[in-house]
Amino acid sequence: MNENEHQFQALRQLLALKRHEVPPPGYFDRFSGEVLARIRAGETGGRDNLAERLPWLVRLLQALESQPAFAGALASALCLLLVGGLLYAERPDATIQPLLLPPGGAPALNVAVAPPLSAPPAVTAGLISATNPVFNPQPMATPEAVALFGNPTAPLQPVSFRVSGN
Amino acid sequence: MIMAEPVSRRDSEPTAPVDEETLVQRARGGDLTAYDELVKRYQERIYATIYHMTSNHEDANDLAQESFIKAFQALKHFKGGSSFYTWLYRIAVNKTINFLKQRRHRVHMSLNDLDFNAEHDPDLMALISDKTPRREAGLTELQEKLNAALLKLSEPHRLVVVLHDVQGLSHEEIAKVMNCNIGTVRSRLFYARQQLQAWLADYLKPT
Repeated sequence: MNENEHQFQALRQLLALKRHEVPPPGYFDRFSGEVLARIRAGETGGRDNLAERLPWLVRLLQALESQPAFAGALASALCLLLVGGLLYAERPDATIQPLLLPPGGAPALNVAVAPPLSAPPAVTAGLISATNPVFNPQPMATPEAVALFGNPTAPLQPVSFRVSGN
Repeated sequence: MIMAEPVSRRDSEPTAPVDEETLVQRARGGDLTAYDELVKRYQERIYATIYHMTSNHEDANDLAQESFIKAFQALKHFKGGSSFYTWLYRIAVNKTINFLKQRRHRVHMSLNDLDFNAEHDPDLMALISDKTPRREAGLTELQEKLNAALLKLSEPHRLVVVLHDVQGLSHEEIAKVMNCNIGTVRSRLFYARQQLQAWLADYLKPT
């Protein structure tokens, strides 16, 4: 018998020692009673931790732990995604630019304000009496406001701006 | 006058062992007496497996009880594709591995005493009295060194050693419990033994 085989046999003999490790006397006589008592008390099987509720998370973490290449690839992908998102957010919005330019390409700005809406009196009354904290036309009716901004009840006029280039 | 009810003679008669499937069916219907019988059948093996994995009696006690409680509550999901024993083992093993992952850096051994037979096991006596470099080591020291070495193994490797070399399960049974193929079981067993031989070389080498 060579040394390796001898060591293997000795290891098996040593592992047999584990079979002689026994719990305190009477332990198994009480065990099932304690289990049933806990079941009757309505216990839920102990520590329902995150790992038991989310097994896919455990598998992912195990994969990350056991495969550094996978973890690196995942981290790189997340970094790329982040950088891509930042670049995309910083990019000037190309879809707005043509709307500001006239068809001829001259740097002119035309802003046409829509004609005033002729809302029915009921709707207007609703607006005035609304509790909207952002827009409340009531303060405009004070004398100071009238002096500063004019009559708040004056009808809106359509306005057209034209900015010509030099 | 109130007469005491006659004691049923059937209570004192030995009952025939009920097969596992019947017990499982009854337990699934909420029969705690049937489940008590199932617990008594498997408590030693389940406890031993968890104990050998944790090397801690208190942890093994908690985890074994929780495994049986969880199994009772999950009985309605038990399809019967495998034996109840394998299914129960799987619950206990998963619970233990999750527990060990959480307390990876807080290992504390609380070893059970050796039984009387250990001192009369000729193989163990041969290990101690053999002319090894550590022949002065007693059984208790061997026990501590062995458990410390087992705890150094990764959980899957330790589990294979415990189930095969300590509990005596076959490769096929271990593959079912661990939900992997037999080749994986064999390779893990080979690697784990190599590691243990290296760590316990002082206690295994002849001079």
